[in-house]
Amino acid sequence: MSNSATQMLVSATIEFLRRYPPFDRMETEALQFLAERLRLAYYPRDAQILTPEMGVARTFYLLQRGKVLARQAGEVSLVEFASMTLGPGEGFPIGSVTAQRPSTNAYVALEDVFCYELPADDFFRLMQKSTVFNLFCTQYIASLLNQSRQQLQIQFAQRAAEQQTMNSPLASIIKKAPLAVPPGTSIRQVIESMASAHIGSMIVVDENEQPIGIFTQSDVLKRIVLPGTPLDGPIESVMSPAPHALPVSSNAYDAALAMAMHGIRHVLAVDEGGRLRGVVSERDLFTLQRVGLRQIRQTIDTAASIEQLRQASQDVRQLSLNMLAQGVGAEQLTQFISALNDTLTRRVIQLCLDRHDLYGIEWAWLSFGSEGRDEQTFSTDQDNGIVYECTDIMDREQTQLRMLEFARDVNEALDRCGFPLCKGNIMASNPELCLTLEEWEEKFARWIRSPQPQALLNATIFFDFRPLYGRFNLADRLRLSLLRQTRSNGIFMRMMAQNALTVAPPLGKIRDFVTDADPEHPGTIDLKKLGARLFIDAARIFALGHNIAATNTVQRLKLSSSQMNVPADEIGAIIEGFNFIQLLRLRHQHFEQEHGRAGDNYVRPDELNELERRILKEAFRQARKLQQRLRLDYQA
Amino acid sequence: MNWIGKLFGRQDKGPAVPLAADRQAALDAWRQLPPADMTRSHYRSRYAVVDVEASGLNMKQDRLISIGALAVVDGIIDFHDAFEVVLRQDTVSTDANILIHGIGGSAQREGVEPADALLAFLDWLGKSPLVAYHALFDQTMIDRALRQYLGIELGLPWIDLAWVMPDLFRDLNNNQSGLDDWLTIFGIDNIQRHNAVSDAYATARLLQVALARGLQREAETPASFVELERARRWMRRGG
Repeated sequence: MSNSATQMLVSATIEFLRRYPPFDRMETEALQFLAERLRLAYYPRDAQILTPEMGVARTFYLLQRGKVLARQAGEVSLVEFASMTLGPGEGFPIGSVTAQRPSTNAYVALEDVFCYELPADDFFRLMQKSTVFNLFCTQYIASLLNQSRQQLQIQFAQRAAEQQTMNSPLASIIKKAPLAVPPGTSIRQVIESMASAHIGSMIVVDENEQPIGIFTQSDVLKRIVLPGTPLDGPIESVMSPAPHALPVSSNAYDAALAMAMHGIRHVLAVDEGGRLRGVVSERDLFTLQRVGLRQIRQTIDTAASIEQLRQASQDVRQLSLNMLAQGVGAEQLTQFISALNDTLTRRVIQLCLDRHDLYGIEWAWLSFGSEGRDEQTFSTDQDNGIVYECTDIMDREQTQLRMLEFARDVNEALDRCGFPLCKGNIMASNPELCLTLEEWEEKFARWIRSPQPQALLNATIFFDFRPLYGRFNLADRLRLSLLRQTRSNGIFMRMMAQNALTVAPPLGKIRDFVTDADPEHPGTIDLKKLGARLFIDAARIFALGHNIAATNTVQRLKLSSSQMNVPADEIGAIIEGFNFIQLLRLRHQHFEQEHGRAGDNYVRPDELNELERRILKEAFRQARKLQQRLRLDYQA
Repeated sequence: MNWIGKLFGRQDKGPAVPLAADRQAALDAWRQLPPADMTRSHYRSRYAVVDVEASGLNMKQDRLISIGALAVVDGIIDFHDAFEVVLRQDTVSTDANILIHGIGGSAQREGVEPADALLAFLDWLGKSPLVAYHALFDQTMIDRALRQYLGIELGLPWIDLAWVMPDLFRDLNNNQSGLDDWLTIFGIDNIQRHNAVSDAYATARLLQVALARGLQREAETPASFVELERARRWMRRGG
């Protein structure tokens, strides 16, 4: 160090830094490095320290004294993210410096502020030097992802609140205190009260508050207007006596059952003393969610007909939506959808097996593509096939015909259950995809030996196969032979890598995102093709190259990263990025389907909020990182 | 006292003992430096914030013991642009005095040869305007040492924050004009009071406050600070 004065000032800075996380845990050498490179600036109250207009953030700021207000630029949907106050020991803008882009926040001095400044280059060197600091920054970015998940939760909270289960007690469904009148009340008075309170029914109670009758809107026409009943008469002369009542502790099912059995639209809820506590209408029950997870599984497992399964598949969608609303992450959610769809498909196969004699054939039902990877979203068509064994004594053609007939049945049944037939004919009923183990092996070997464009495309679909039903060991053997072939074939792997690298993340040089890649959908990003696929393709290549049998993208990334010496936090950030893109896809598809459109993957970045845009950018950057690794490993 | 007159007019008398050739060369090199442009913005200027420790508070008799200094360049403090030196003392200052600045007897005796210490200071200083709080003391001590050991007049402008701050912050009721009062107002902590570097660091941060304020008050250059101080001194004398 240059001299004793510098030494003293640097020591004082270190002493200051040590009072705050993450510097209190930072390696001595890294802390020294940091303190030696900090410079001190002053900003008077109200001064703008950093704004988006200042361009790419080239300085990391670390508050020594005073408070700084960070205000999100642009539209912000939630107050708590709109602004936050930073104090001594806190640094900014971590995300923007890391990413070398303009800050998304405006940072203004709330009071007189002394602020250390660190040039971006030194910031990066510090991240390399200090695992503590690196972790801190990585976690900070990850916490943004959590914030976004919370936002999503709030967004759906309203809907989730409405989706109580049918197990809810009536007490929780009743929204307001019931209106009731004594039996002697005049008809005129009752109708007037109903009109002014905008209610469809009036309960008539005796002196003990026990309901003795009900008078509804529809009674007005039949019992008053048409017969010309005088309005001065008592309400008890026109009410329906002995209305149906249930204890308030009964649940929504009981009410629905009562309505169905007695053909009525209102059920009264009474307490232990028989006193009126509320009215449950058919409409109240209508908004209730019909099902829960266990019920769905039960329904599927015991379904006796395709028709019942069709209902269940709708329930699966509804339930997935609830889970989305409850803030379940994309990884769990896509796996969950896949798992239920698996159960459903298995039941479909079982039902179809009743009508087909496959005795003596060893076979397995395979799923490909997103289902093969356990990554199904709301919009999924069929991608399946069959592998079977043909022994010497069997006639190969006869056997295939039997399998194909069965497959056609299953494909059609699945179609009726909400899994549309595959336009590309990637279905077990396609003779090309209903093959013996040897034929599959030969097919794969052909693709690997001569990796033409079509072969590479096929590999991205079929190499993600997974057994769903039947003899799983057939699929396991196919997987082993596939891995044996790919591992040793450098040319094929390189071609796969090149193929994966033909699509780059849609990050703009000037604007945040490139949104004009598809002339038919201007202003949008295809989050499947330009987002999720980047991760999926890279993960597949890593898996094939490192002898990993898993088909799920997250698992593939986790398993291969340890073999490739990628630090856990780095792969964690990549997985978070992938999951966020999947989450946006799920949300978008749900929104589209709710508005009666086919759930596509065209997301408008403009319609995301500031936080989501930031995270999406970060996710794309992670994809770029993954691609860089791919390029490096396969010289593609 | 006209510093411009000093800068251009007066001839240096030379030290009591002639300087060795290398020292003379270093001194000449410093003299050759162009003067600082006092009319550039604060944020394009270099200020040398200085604090000295002496054997006592008597400006006529006491000796300069150490100089601590820190530059504020373009409004920013860079710890690498800092300076500290202890001048070798033939007579160690009193115990009471040592207790104040903490530079002990052996440290005083082992200090740098005064002429070399001062040349090193000039080398670090260049021709930047100097800043101190109650600058008269620092200025007197440094001037006398320069005359004694190098035989020169510094001939650079001094800015005294004790005059500048009250003028920039007239809204603050500041009857007490102590450095510590200002530091308290702006929440500036002093690592080690009466250590020359630490005091200079605190004063440098006070200067940062002054620069930012100056910008708002149309006192945007080093020259304007000099002028502001001169006017205030004149007014006080007149009133």
